[in-house]
Amino acid sequence: MNNLQQQNAPSSLEVFHVVNQTFPETAEIREWRNKGNKVYGWLCTYVPEEIIHAAGILPIRITGYDRETELVDSDAYLYTNNCSFSRSCLQMGLAGEYKFLDGVVGGSTCDGARRLFDLWRQYIGTPFYHVLTVPRKYTDSALRLYLAEVEQFKAHLEEHLGVSITDEALTASIELYNQTRSLLKELYNLRKLPQPSITGAQVMEVTDACFRMPKERFNVHLSALLEELKESTVTYSGRARLMLSGSVLANPDFIGAIEEQGGLVVADELCTSTRYWGDMVDNSGKEPPLAALARRYLNNYPCARMFPSEERFSRIVQTAKDHHVDGVISEIIRYCVPYAHDLPLLTDRLKEADIPVLSIDLEYGSSGSGQIATRVQAFLEMIEAKKNG
Amino acid sequence: MVEKGSNKIQSIIRACRIILRMVEVDPNARESQKKYYRMLLQYFTRLRDAQENGQFIAAHTVFFPSEIILAMDLVPMHTETTTWMISLFTGECSDILAAGVREGMATEICAPHRGMTGAFANGSIPKPDVMLWSNMVCDNTAKSGELVMDICDCPGYFLDRPFKNSDLEKAYFADEVRDMIAFLETQSGKKMDYNRLSEIAETTNRQINLTREINELRKNVPSPFSPLGFLELLTIDYLFPGQPESVDYLETLKKELTQAVAEKKGAVPNERFRLMTLFIPPMYLMAFLDRLSRESGAVSVIEPFFTFWGEGNLDPSKPVEAVAEKSYMIPEARMYGPLGNTALETMKQCVLDWKVDGAVFYADVGCRHSCATIKLFKDTLADVDVPMLTIDCDVVDQTVTTEEEVTEKMERFFELLEDR
Repeated sequence: MNNLQQQNAPSSLEVFHVVNQTFPETAEIREWRNKGNKVYGWLCTYVPEEIIHAAGILPIRITGYDRETELVDSDAYLYTNNCSFSRSCLQMGLAGEYKFLDGVVGGSTCDGARRLFDLWRQYIGTPFYHVLTVPRKYTDSALRLYLAEVEQFKAHLEEHLGVSITDEALTASIELYNQTRSLLKELYNLRKLPQPSITGAQVMEVTDACFRMPKERFNVHLSALLEELKESTVTYSGRARLMLSGSVLANPDFIGAIEEQGGLVVADELCTSTRYWGDMVDNSGKEPPLAALARRYLNNYPCARMFPSEERFSRIVQTAKDHHVDGVISEIIRYCVPYAHDLPLLTDRLKEADIPVLSIDLEYGSSGSGQIATRVQAFLEMIEAKKNG
Repeated sequence: MVEKGSNKIQSIIRACRIILRMVEVDPNARESQKKYYRMLLQYFTRLRDAQENGQFIAAHTVFFPSEIILAMDLVPMHTETTTWMISLFTGECSDILAAGVREGMATEICAPHRGMTGAFANGSIPKPDVMLWSNMVCDNTAKSGELVMDICDCPGYFLDRPFKNSDLEKAYFADEVRDMIAFLETQSGKKMDYNRLSEIAETTNRQINLTREINELRKNVPSPFSPLGFLELLTIDYLFPGQPESVDYLETLKKELTQAVAEKKGAVPNERFRLMTLFIPPMYLMAFLDRLSRESGAVSVIEPFFTFWGEGNLDPSKPVEAVAEKSYMIPEARMYGPLGNTALETMKQCVLDWKVDGAVFYADVGCRHSCATIKLFKDTLADVDVPMLTIDCDVVDQTVTTEEEVTEKMERFFELLEDR
């Protein structure tokens, strides 16, 4: 953690930091496994975690190294023109760092993800493997197809485990996960304040840990953090309020580097944060739990893969306004094609809303040093000049 | 402000005419080759005339079911093939690639799509009346449409092709096609001619079966088909799916190859290396690669992801379903969906059936989904003792590789094959 975050960092944050320090097989995961329980890895926010949880399995998110590192093996398997996120995940898999997984579940979301699955199955192997077809539209027929895929996934899981995943169990899991979403939303609401009591880098410590420990425990710790933040007299401000948008990102140091330059990251549109917890699952019983899950996951705060892109763009503009953002930093991992394609149109939409955009290409795990810091510095100067008329 | 580009369609037409004249007076040229260039000339002349006469132009990405466009008597513009042809016939894409970058396209986006966007932006290809695109076969195709709609100020339709091939997914895709037909009817003011679409499905069956028969003839040693002739098979399906011109071309080619087989006449003077080609060679090096292949006695005999069609036939009595089903039968479909054992076993079987000595993988630096299979395919082919050469390249961008580099790699690979 950089100096800005270390100074007066909330003590309740420490537990999340410790979890992330022991990634990938965190102490929480080891403890779960030591009780004879299974752990499944999921990749991409279009995988309904609740189904895995309702089967009595701990779902954790597969991510790559949280730091810049050599990807020698995965470069050979995936070629360097695949995004460094998929290569980093594969590298960890090839290195045996995910050997504790009992299953892997993904969605047909992008080229990087689907080829990662192909190679994972061929070269790493995991006892259970499932890929869901995820439609790219929001139509009724797309929802019917996705619901059928979700049902098929549940049936496959039941068959593999020899268990029945009941509606009661699903409802309970949805309740738990909705609580997580609700708590994260509360955390993000604090960031709308003129002087939030938490930095962007600190928030990423929280969201990262969310994928790496049981939600039952995470919710307890997050509730404690929220209580502490509400009581806290420590506040943060910066030269500009910034929003991060774009590819998957899980390195708090990257945000820390932006904040070291004087920007305060108060919002984001990332699949490791807002796009993960964005919308609630309707657990009112209006429709069966699987149908409610399918509806939520397909229509959630969208990834750039979805069509029409306007749905994503309008949500980004709204998030930026809600968090009183001065500028948006678009971070796109090299060869993350869906986000690269969206960038010209998204930039236009943000400019229409009078929100300047800094576009940064980076590798997954980048800490945001060097050239990136220089560009952020210039962006902040530009925002300040704009503010001063 | 983007500088106005030169008329690339006119350049393609001019180059086609010159090549056609040369082919027509070449005593060694195939009759099918003449037909092929006439077809290319016809395709791009129709596109140019459509622009001049204000006819309705429907731009579409690769693997989009253009049978629908043809059945509605609209003018199709295959966007990726148009970019390839610009590179093939003019040898120059830098201006449209630069124009693409000026539109905000990152350099990681594959050159055919970057070039296509640039060509639309600088006016070097006609602006379409509608943009049609699908997610078959990669993220670039899935994401290419909306920016083109913005640049060309035209409406568009995105056709969502599901990832796997369950009955439900196929039904979803057929519904997508129906919805797209309704969109096109509204935009063009023309009604879909379902009888015509049935005829196209019927003709497509003939086209697919002729391609299968031609591939059977290529099993012969020596192979009767030219070293890179497979690109003709690919292009006619891209530009003339289910059209009588395709059948005419294929029937002529089949007749020629049958005769060559009977005479034990190979396409190259001294066949030494029977190759499996994986993915598309650089367009601007095509003439050079053809010469190199002939000089080295190398010939591509099978392309599992380009010419080796899946099993089955289309049902012309259900034309919309037939068009949708074709998307699951095309050779490239093996690269979509989970890349499971079926695709890998198909490669191995192709090696055995076509007596393949070695494979050449053209690793387009802009193509993520294909390059991610290099290691997997190399290992798969090693199981049947077939070495694979990987050539880093770009299908249209000349700055990625040179003739010298390719020559050196090819020559070393041929030495390796010779030693075996």
